Amino acid sequence: MEKRQDIVLGLLFAGLGIAAAVMATDYTGASGTYPKVLGLILALLGGAVTVRAVRSGRNEARELIDVPAQMITAAVIATIYVALVVPIGFYTASLLLMLALPVALGFRQLLYALTVALVFMALIYLVFSVLLEKPLPREAFLSFFGSGG
Amino acid sequence: MKINTILLGLTATAALAAPALAEYPERAIELTIPAGAGGGTDTSARKLAILLEEKLGTSIAILNVGGGGGSVGASQFMQTKPDGYSLFATWNSPLTTVPQVQNVAYSLDSFTPIASTSETAYTLCVNADFPATTGEEFLAELAANPGAYTYGNDGIGGTMQLAAERIFQAKGIDAVAIPFGGAGETLQNFLGGHVDIYGGSISTVLPYVENGEAKCPLVTSAADVPALPGAAGLETLGLGDKETLLWRAILGPKGLDEAIVDKLANVIEEAVNDPSYVEFLATKGEVPNVVKGEDLGARLQTEYDALAEVSKNLGL
Amino acid sequence: MDFYTNALAQVLSFGPLLAMIGATLLGVFIGALPGLNPVMAIALLLPLTYSMDPLVALAMVAGIYNGSMYGGAIPAILLRIPGTPASIATTFDGFPMADRGEAAKALKIACWSSALGGIASAVALMTVGPLLARVTLFFGPAEYFWIAIFGMASVGVMVGSDPIKGIMAAMLGLLIGTVGIDNLSGQARFTFGQTWLLGGLDLIVVLVGLYALPPVLQLAEKADLKGLTAAQLKLTNVPFKPGEVRGLIPTWLRASGIGIGVGILPGAGGNIAAFLSYNAAKNASDDPSSFGKGNPQGVAAAECGNNADNAASMIPALSLGIPGNVVAALVLSALTIHGLQPGPQLFHQNPLLVGGFMMEMLLTSVLIFALGGAVATRIFAQFQRLPGVLLVPSILILMCVGVYVINGRPVDLWVMLAAGFAGYFLEKVNVPLAPIILGMILGPMAEQSVRRALLISRGDASELLTRPISAGLAIATVLVIAWPIAKAMRRRRAAR
Repeated sequence: MEKRQDIVLGLLFAGLGIAAAVMATDYTGASGTYPKVLGLILALLGGAVTVRAVRSGRNEARELIDVPAQMITAAVIATIYVALVVPIGFYTASLLLMLALPVALGFRQLLYALTVALVFMALIYLVFSVLLEKPLPREAFLSFFGSGG
Repeated sequence: MKINTILLGLTATAALAAPALAEYPERAIELTIPAGAGGGTDTSARKLAILLEEKLGTSIAILNVGGGGGSVGASQFMQTKPDGYSLFATWNSPLTTVPQVQNVAYSLDSFTPIASTSETAYTLCVNADFPATTGEEFLAELAANPGAYTYGNDGIGGTMQLAAERIFQAKGIDAVAIPFGGAGETLQNFLGGHVDIYGGSISTVLPYVENGEAKCPLVTSAADVPALPGAAGLETLGLGDKETLLWRAILGPKGLDEAIVDKLANVIEEAVNDPSYVEFLATKGEVPNVVKGEDLGARLQTEYDALAEVSKNLGL
Repeated sequence: MDFYTNALAQVLSFGPLLAMIGATLLGVFIGALPGLNPVMAIALLLPLTYSMDPLVALAMVAGIYNGSMYGGAIPAILLRIPGTPASIATTFDGFPMADRGEAAKALKIACWSSALGGIASAVALMTVGPLLARVTLFFGPAEYFWIAIFGMASVGVMVGSDPIKGIMAAMLGLLIGTVGIDNLSGQARFTFGQTWLLGGLDLIVVLVGLYALPPVLQLAEKADLKGLTAAQLKLTNVPFKPGEVRGLIPTWLRASGIGIGVGILPGAGGNIAAFLSYNAAKNASDDPSSFGKGNPQGVAAAECGNNADNAASMIPALSLGIPGNVVAALVLSALTIHGLQPGPQLFHQNPLLVGGFMMEMLLTSVLIFALGGAVATRIFAQFQRLPGVLLVPSILILMCVGVYVINGRPVDLWVMLAAGFAGYFLEKVNVPLAPIILGMILGPMAEQSVRRALLISRGDASELLTRPISAGLAIATVLVIAWPIAKAMRRRRAAR
C-alpha cells in the first residue's frame, strides 16, 4: 500500500516538475530561470521519493480514504453543489445542500436539519446580502417569476 | 390557465413597455474596480460611489478584482450584462497600456465609455542632494550619465514606465527601470536610497517634497502642476506632445443602452464637481476632468495609439 | 504622556467604545469562520463607515483586525481548520491539545497570547514606532530577499517525519507562487491562456480549500448524527496551574519581539510572524520533539506572534505613509477620505485621531481577554454541538461564500475544491500542507526581491551579501538552519 502510493506520488510530482520546467523554457530571461529551477528541483525530489519507495522493503498498510462510502458521498455532493451555485443561485443551492448532505450521510431528523438550515441561511443572508450588500449568484427561481427582483 | 396567460401577458407587456430609463436604477449596482482595496483607484472610486449612491438613490456594491495590472478585472467585467447594473471604475492603464504588453481578451470596443472623472500627472523625484533641480538640468544629468541612474516605477509596461520612457526616448536617455508593486513600495525604496529616482503618483511623494527631503524636477503633464511648484511641465521642456496622464473613468460593458449612458454620465459629472469631491481630489493632487460618452472613447483611442508607438520602440 | 491621556479620553466616549466592543466580537467571529478573513471584512465594512466619525470607523478596523487574529485560533484548535492564514501554525499544537481533551486550555492560552501580543505591539506602535519606522527604510530588495529566505528556513519545523516530502511541498508552493503576470518582466507564467490566472492564485482561496476541505471530509466520514453534549464540550474555565504562566513568559516575549519586528517591515506580513515565532519557540525549547504533539508553548508562540504583528504593521503606514499590508492601506485610504494626507506629518495634522487609533489598537487587544475568553469562545463552541453531519454542509457553505466574495467569480470555487481534494490525499500520504502555503507567501517575495536587487546592482550578485544588514540576515538564516541540527547532534552525543 504505502510503497505503491509513494511511487505514484513521486512520479506525479516529478511529472509536474518536468512539465513546469519545460513550460518555463518559453519564458523570457530571468522570469523563466526561476520556475525552471523550481520545476527541476521538484522533479528531483519526486524522483527521490519514487526511488526510495521502490528500494524500501517496508510496505505498511496506509488507507487513502478511511471511510470510502461517506467520503465519496460528501465529495460528490460538494462538487455538485459548486456546480449548481451559479446556475440555480446561491441560496437555493445552499439550502438544498443543507438538506441533501445530512440525509445522504444518514441523518433522518428532517425537521431538525430544516430548522438549522433556515436559521443558518438567514444568518448568511443578513451578513452578506443585507449588511455587506455583496452580490452572490442570483436565484434562478426569481427570474422564473418575471423580470423583476 | 387563463389567469396564467394574463399574468404572462402582463409581465411581457410590462417588460416591453417600460423604458429602461424610467425605472433605472431599480436595484443595487455593482462597481468592479480592477485593483486591490486601499489603492488610489480604489479610494477615488469608493469616495465617488458614496456620492453616486445619494444621487441615484440606490446602493453600490464594490468588487475589487486585482491582478495583472488591471487586466484580470477588465476581462472579468467584460463578461457582465449591459443592463446598467454592472459598472467599471478604472484608471487608464488597464485599457490603454496593459494591452500593449499582455495578450488580453478585451479591446477598447469591449466597453461602453460613460465618463472620465479625474486626472493627475505622474512625477519623477530625486533626493534633495541630487545634482540637478530644474527639469532641464535633471534631463541633462540623466543624458550625460547613461545607465547610471535607477528609477522606480509601478511595474514593467505600466503607464508610469511608459510615461517616463516617452520622455527619455525623446531625449536619448538611458536610465535603469526598477519595477515595484506600487507607488508605496517605490517610495519606500526611494526614501531608503535603494533607487535614485522616484517615479509614481504625486500624492504619495508630496509630503516628502513639502518637508524638503525630496525635490521633483518634472511632471508628465504638459502643464505645470500647482501642488509641485518646482516641477516643470513638459510644455516648458519642449516635450508637450509627450504628455502621459493618470486618469480615471467609469465605463459599462459593450452595448450599454444610450439613455443609461447619458443618465449616468450626467450624474457622474454632478458628483465629480461636488465641492466635497473636488476637495478630496485636491488632497490627492488630482483635478476633476469629465469627458463623456463618445468623446471619452476618442480619448481612449488616441492614447492607445500613442502608447502603442512607445512600447514598440521599447521592444515590450 | 499628556497627549495619550487626551486620546484615551476621546476613545473612551460612547461611540468608539461601542464600536470597539462590537468590532472585536465581530472580528473573533470573522476570524473563526473559515473563508471569512479580516482583510475582506475590513475592505467591505470600512466604506460603510465613511460617513461616520473617523474614530468610530477606526475603532472598527482595530477591533476586527485584532479580534480576527485571535478568532482564527478557535477553529484551528477545535477543528484543525485555520480561520486565517496566520493561524496555520496554531493548528500544529492546538489541535493535538484539543484531541487529548485540552481544548479549553488551548483556547485560553491562545486568548492570553493573542491579547498579550496585541498589547505589546500597540505599545511599540505608541512608543518606539516612529523611530523604528526610519530604520525599516534601510531594508532594500537585497534585505527583503534574505527575510524571505529566513522565513523559508522555518519550513524545517513543519516538514514532519519526512523531510523530502516536506521540501517537495515547499517547492510546489513556490511554483504555485509564480503563477500569473511576472511584475518584473510582464511575462505571463503558467496561465494556460486563462485571464483569471493572470493575477495568480489567490492565497485565501487555496488556503480555504487546502486546509478546510480535508477536515470537513473527515467530519463527513465520521458521520456523527448526534453532536456533543454540553458536558462533552469541556469548555469550562480551566485555571492556569501555578508556574504555568511563568513558563510561557519567555515564549510571549520572544514571539512579541518577532511579531513586532516582522510587522514593522512593509510587505513582510503577519502570516510569517506566526511561523517564525513558532520556529523560534521550538528552537529554544529543551524538548523540540514535543512540538507538533500538543505543546502549549507552540500555541502561545503562534498566537502571540500573529497578534504582535498587527499594530506594528501600522507603524510604517502612520509614520511614513507607506502601507505595509492591505489593512494598513485601507486605514490610509479611510484617513484620506476623511481629508488627511498620509505621510510623515500625519501625526501633527491630527494627533487626536492618529493617537486615538493607536489607543484603539491597544484597547481592542485588552478586550480580547474579556471577549475572546468568555463570550466569543463559548458562543462559537456551541456551533460544535450540532451533529457533525449538519456541520459539514454549514462549513462548506461558509467556505464557498467566503471564497466567492473575494473576486466574485465562480472559477475560484473550483480552485478551492481542487485544492481541497489535493490536500486530502496529500495529507494521507504524509505530505505536509503548511510548506505549500509558506511557499506561496514567500516565493513571490524572494523572487521579486532578488531580481530587483540584481537589477539595481546591474547583475552583481555579491551585493546580496556585502551590505551590512543583508550580510547579518544571511548569517542569521544559516544559524537558524544549523542550530536545530547542532542541538540534535549534541543531544545524541549526550545520550550515548
